[in-house]
Amino acid sequence: MTKHEIDCEQALKQLFEFIDRELPEDRRDEMQHHLHTCKSCFSRFEFERRLKEKLGGLGKGEPSSGISDRITKLLNSL
Amino acid sequence: MAIPKKAFENQVIDLLGRMHGVARRLTRSDADAEDLVAEAVARAWRALDSLEHEAAFRGWIFRILHNTFLDECRRRGARPQFESLGYEEPEEGEQQFSIFEQMHQPFLLWFSNPEQEFLDKILREDIDRALATLPEHHRIVVILSDLEEFSYGEIATTLAVPVGTVRSRLARARGALQKILWQQARDAGLSATPPARHECEDGAADAPRPATARQAARAKKDGKS
Repeated sequence: MTKHEIDCEQALKQLFEFIDRELPEDRRDEMQHHLHTCKSCFSRFEFERRLKEKLGGLGKGEPSSGISDRITKLLNSL
Repeated sequence: MAIPKKAFENQVIDLLGRMHGVARRLTRSDADAEDLVAEAVARAWRALDSLEHEAAFRGWIFRILHNTFLDECRRRGARPQFESLGYEEPEEGEQQFSIFEQMHQPFLLWFSNPEQEFLDKILREDIDRALATLPEHHRIVVILSDLEEFSYGEIATTLAVPVGTVRSRLARARGALQKILWQQARDAGLSATPPARHECEDGAADAPRPATARQAARAKKDGKS
């Protein structure tokens, strides 16, 4: 094993940090290399990434006109 | 540091949709969410001197929003927990629940992918409902990380906890969320028990099949697959 290779256990341990873009560059490279070579971990990565993407879809929304009007009035009164 | 009133207003207007979304998920009530945002904005204005620099505005105002929510819970004498919704707090050290590990069949043929089919079937409402079931301390980290795309450092600042706590809390929250989603799916008949026997990719149809992806990974590591 070269210093750039990690096994499945190590890959799964840092999978969410990889998806969350919280890994330093060298560990990110190790993960990318592992995911290119391991179908099982790549499947897990795809699943978790898609689930996070679906969750992210909940966050996109415009404020209601009610809250916009109320906050605008509040800001004007400050 | 005090920023000009106009800059404060612009920042609030830019973040209003996000703040309202987070407030709705914390309070689970449109009316309470509006009150919460209004109170948080008023408090933020009064506490403007505590903003260290304008670039930190987002984390700063979400921290005020969250603290305002917790204060309101205390004022009402309500704990921001929702055990009545059937939530079970994971035990310390307990392995995180994973839908993938429940569903993934490592030796299924390429055209069948139960865990991806599961994701195709679950609806926005299902995820929304599962998220609402989480207790506040787990819900807020998922909201900030997955919905609002905060970095771990920003979440740590917002919740006033160390980054390591964010990391561990997020892992437990995600496991809990997946467990709730899984239970919801089972109740709705979406996640049937997988068939007991499958064709293998390498043709070894009679080889013992690991029950989960983690077991498959271990078997691969040990050279048993």
